[in-house]
Amino acid sequence: MGDRVVGDTADIRRRLDEVGYLVDEGTASALFLALSLGRPLLLEGEPGVGKTTAAKALARALDTPLIRLQCYEGLTVGEALYEWNHQRQLLAIRLAESRQDRLRDADLFTAEFLQERPILRAVRHDGPVPPVLLIDEIDRADDEFEALLFEFLGESAITIPELGTFTAKRPPIVVLTSNRSRDLHDALRRRCLYHWIDFPSPERTVEILRRSVPAANEPLIRSAAEFVGRVRGYDLDKAPGMAEAIDWVSALSALGATELVREDVVRTLSAVAKTPDDRETITGALDQLVGGARGATA
Amino acid sequence: MPADRRAGLLPGVDRAALAVALADRLRRRGVPVGFTATEDFVRGLEVSPPDSVSDLYWTARITFVRRHTELEAFDAVFAAVFGGVVTALDPNARRRRVPEPGGDDAFAPVPAPSAEVEGGGGLPWVTLPPVTAEAETAFTAQAVPERLPSDVEGLADVPFEQLDERAAEVLGEWLRAAVAAWPTRRSRRTATGPRGRRVSVRATAERSRRTGWEPFHLVRERPVDKPRRVVMLCDVSQSMQAQAAAYLHMMRALALVAGAEVFAFATSLTRLTPALTHRSAAVAVEQATEKVADRFGGTRIAANVHALLASHHGAKLRGAIVIIGSDGWDSDDPESLAAGMARLRRRAHRVIWMNPRASAPGFEPTVAGMAAALPYCDRLLPADTFRSLRQVIDEVSRIR
Repeated sequence: MGDRVVGDTADIRRRLDEVGYLVDEGTASALFLALSLGRPLLLEGEPGVGKTTAAKALARALDTPLIRLQCYEGLTVGEALYEWNHQRQLLAIRLAESRQDRLRDADLFTAEFLQERPILRAVRHDGPVPPVLLIDEIDRADDEFEALLFEFLGESAITIPELGTFTAKRPPIVVLTSNRSRDLHDALRRRCLYHWIDFPSPERTVEILRRSVPAANEPLIRSAAEFVGRVRGYDLDKAPGMAEAIDWVSALSALGATELVREDVVRTLSAVAKTPDDRETITGALDQLVGGARGATA
Repeated sequence: MPADRRAGLLPGVDRAALAVALADRLRRRGVPVGFTATEDFVRGLEVSPPDSVSDLYWTARITFVRRHTELEAFDAVFAAVFGGVVTALDPNARRRRVPEPGGDDAFAPVPAPSAEVEGGGGLPWVTLPPVTAEAETAFTAQAVPERLPSDVEGLADVPFEQLDERAAEVLGEWLRAAVAAWPTRRSRRTATGPRGRRVSVRATAERSRRTGWEPFHLVRERPVDKPRRVVMLCDVSQSMQAQAAAYLHMMRALALVAGAEVFAFATSLTRLTPALTHRSAAVAVEQATEKVADRFGGTRIAANVHALLASHHGAKLRGAIVIIGSDGWDSDDPESLAAGMARLRRRAHRVIWMNPRASAPGFEPTVAGMAAALPYCDRLLPADTFRSLRQVIDEVSRIR
């Protein structure tokens, strides 16, 4: 790429920090390489480690629009790339008939009748900084959809048969996320850089919580971070991620808690435990969990 | 990471040579590194010249590795090259297996059974018992192997213990043919067709080009049906020794035709889908056998059900037909199994339990594990011969 958007790994880390997103070295390197090599980045990791947030924060840090494509089964060209405005085309045909004009294909398939969908919008974006295109939860789309993406991911271009090929002036910054509910095709992986985001370390969790829930006080944050770390060790249906931890600490501090007490934990447990089974497991182990956390902070 | 030993890391190093050498090492350890990735790495070194080994690590990892499962091998190679640590090479590291010549399974010759005990060259999971009752099998000594349908039909009723390896393969193919009318689910993808209910505007506008832009033909679209996902869990513990090979063939048939996810377990869970989908049945079964490290150990059904639910493959259980092949002898707590099965039942569309003992006269599911799991199963089916396996498949295909 000719014009560099960011200087180096430390630079992107600092800029993400400024918009309130703390990254570890690995994630910072991944984002930096994706930016400077102009390659799409595939982010994988447990639910709630901040994959989607990474893309959002990147857009804010670079001060560029975030274009989001939520994937689902049955996603087609019409929803992801472009669609012809058939209704307007039909109207144009009627209009031409009433004027006794003769219409040719070229008159009907022009940019005027083209409806942009997220990917085409990202390709045609005109600005000093390329937009961030977030293709969220690509594993939820079916494998037919992956094939649609190949031209775009490889060449930042989209070919519309009736109109021609659109190539991005500056390749958009593409972030794909996946929860691994389905194995992605090798052809898709080959076109992307790959990064696996781990659960943040306890110290980083504390930092993130401090940043996300400024109202909460220090002992509460510390013991909550430790509590969540321990809970992940239990056999749960849905282990609490970073998002749940933030929700939970917000809930605790909204209730005016200043440290982790059993009653408050029980009242706010629904922010951490997302199934009845998990609720039961955590309630059963509460004595060790809370007692241990208090012992560690004392 | 040890401290930086090279001042300004990689001064004057030929980046291309480094990248190619590293890629080559990774490939030898089974990480499939493509040319694109190698190029990315070189460009990555250019845009961010590494100051430390950890910088270099992240650049290499992000450009070379494409899936989570490759991370371990990558870390080992990286540590060996740059960490100054020589890790012991894994003796089992992905030995290359040469596929047998002529992978055409359906017409492979079936050796006539001999009176002697066959050597250990067969399936490593099964110590073949001496075949004494020749009259029960359809083969005669010295005969040219005949592949008549009736042969297969006859073989299908022979208990697993008395089948040799090739016969099992032939029967595996026979099962594969049975997986045809598979239950489907309605997907959100649409296709045009005369039976559709909705008018597809895009296709109609396209068609109207032929009629002077008059939408004369209305093109309709309807949702596409997709095969319902199947997840099969197969017990390969000591008590299931006789059935293990046959169940592998059934899992292979399901994985190939119905795109099933298949797992084997004894004390721990092993995913066999990639291994079993090999073109040749013999190689597939051999690969699968090699992958399962704990075969013929004890059984921990509950722990393995929980492990499957907790892993990222747990999402594949949603809306799936789950087939569990086990005799229900479980060294875990029955309550734990009941809890796991309840969770499984909530995620799955149907749960079917195949029990090799269920065909015995007077069978009652009194084994603690079986009794605990039964309330959460839609069906308990016998599975002691290939015919009964086929009946399981028929049963599944009736599910709507």
